[in-house]
Amino acid sequence: MSKQSKRVFRMYAAWNYQKEIDDLNSASDKGWQLVKAGVFSCKFKKNNNLRYRYQIDYNSITDMGRYIETFREQGWEYVNSTFNGWHYFRKLYDPSQPEEAYEIFTDRQSLEEMNRRWARFAFILGAIEGLMALAEGIWCIDKPRMPSLILALMCVLVSAFLIRGGLIMRNPDSAHRRKGSAAFLPVLLGTVVICGTLSCVLMIMRPNFSMASQADSVSTPMVDNRFIDFEVRYPDNYYLDVDIDAEAPVTISVLNAEGNMVYTVTEKSFHENGIRLWLPAGKYWVSSSYESGYEIKCSLD
Amino acid sequence: MKKNEPMSESYYYILLCLAKGANHGYGIMRMTENLSDGEVTIGSGTMYGATSNMMKKGWICEIMSNEAGLERRRLYQITESGRDALSAEIARLKRMLKNAEEV
Repeated sequence: MSKQSKRVFRMYAAWNYQKEIDDLNSASDKGWQLVKAGVFSCKFKKNNNLRYRYQIDYNSITDMGRYIETFREQGWEYVNSTFNGWHYFRKLYDPSQPEEAYEIFTDRQSLEEMNRRWARFAFILGAIEGLMALAEGIWCIDKPRMPSLILALMCVLVSAFLIRGGLIMRNPDSAHRRKGSAAFLPVLLGTVVICGTLSCVLMIMRPNFSMASQADSVSTPMVDNRFIDFEVRYPDNYYLDVDIDAEAPVTISVLNAEGNMVYTVTEKSFHENGIRLWLPAGKYWVSSSYESGYEIKCSLD
Repeated sequence: MKKNEPMSESYYYILLCLAKGANHGYGIMRMTENLSDGEVTIGSGTMYGATSNMMKKGWICEIMSNEAGLERRRLYQITESGRDALSAEIARLKRMLKNAEEV
């Protein structure tokens, strides 16, 4: 017995919905009937005795009963809806009827309303993504670091995709309506997932410490006191905050595994946040030297 | 809203069909096809959008049929402001036709 049902992984850009309808119709002509539509994949059942014509509508429905009834009374069977608001309908195909008889939008106004609904959604989401990109971008100008940069680029990519999509959707005659490679959306989605995960992982991998130490008086001066050890797992900018309040100069240094100083400061009073250190991967430590009463704080992120 | 804003063909025919009495979507669709000799058709997507928008405008409202022995069905009914909108549109169309004859 041949396979009776199959799952097809295929994604369509919103503006390619006519292509999706065409693909569903030709699958039906070959005996594969859509039974459950999804954003990432569709489920088909084999039945060579039936031929359907499919239609898709993008709508946020408040009264699903009236919606389905309006379609049913003209012979449309409701298949299902995807979580993002696309509704699938099918009607038995009658070869004596022209293909135009299977249109659900019979005037330009209602078709444009449907297109505008999606465009509006895309513009709002695109604007949110754009603002996120802007916030990340400003953050990056202030303190450039890999995870923020990746996140900013990802937001720019998603925002550009959505706004471009909205513009195509608003223009029913756009040449992009029928264009679009099958690989584009999975690649975009993969990029977004990879960028998001990478950004999170890189953020978690960063050394992050905050140390404070103080003494009212010191009987013997301390030299090269090992303050804290930390490990840098990937080269990037790291930001050091240093606070020194002491009676005599205190030295705080960041040294790498070879004992070379990558940063040092000797002051009685010193307060600076966000000192940028470009650190290659490796082990580091912070040393402090003091000879009298002191209060120091040191943190890195 | 402008008083004499041109109405889409679908809106116009839906109101026209309802002027005679309440009807369901399918009835409106068939009546429209008969009236226009098949020139005007109203697909399901267009019908849902038009009825939703006209309910929002208050031109039509939804009622449930109460005929004995029949399954309770959703019907659309024209409202007073719906009749006003339809009359205004008919007047506009008449004027346009009259103007065409004058030129």
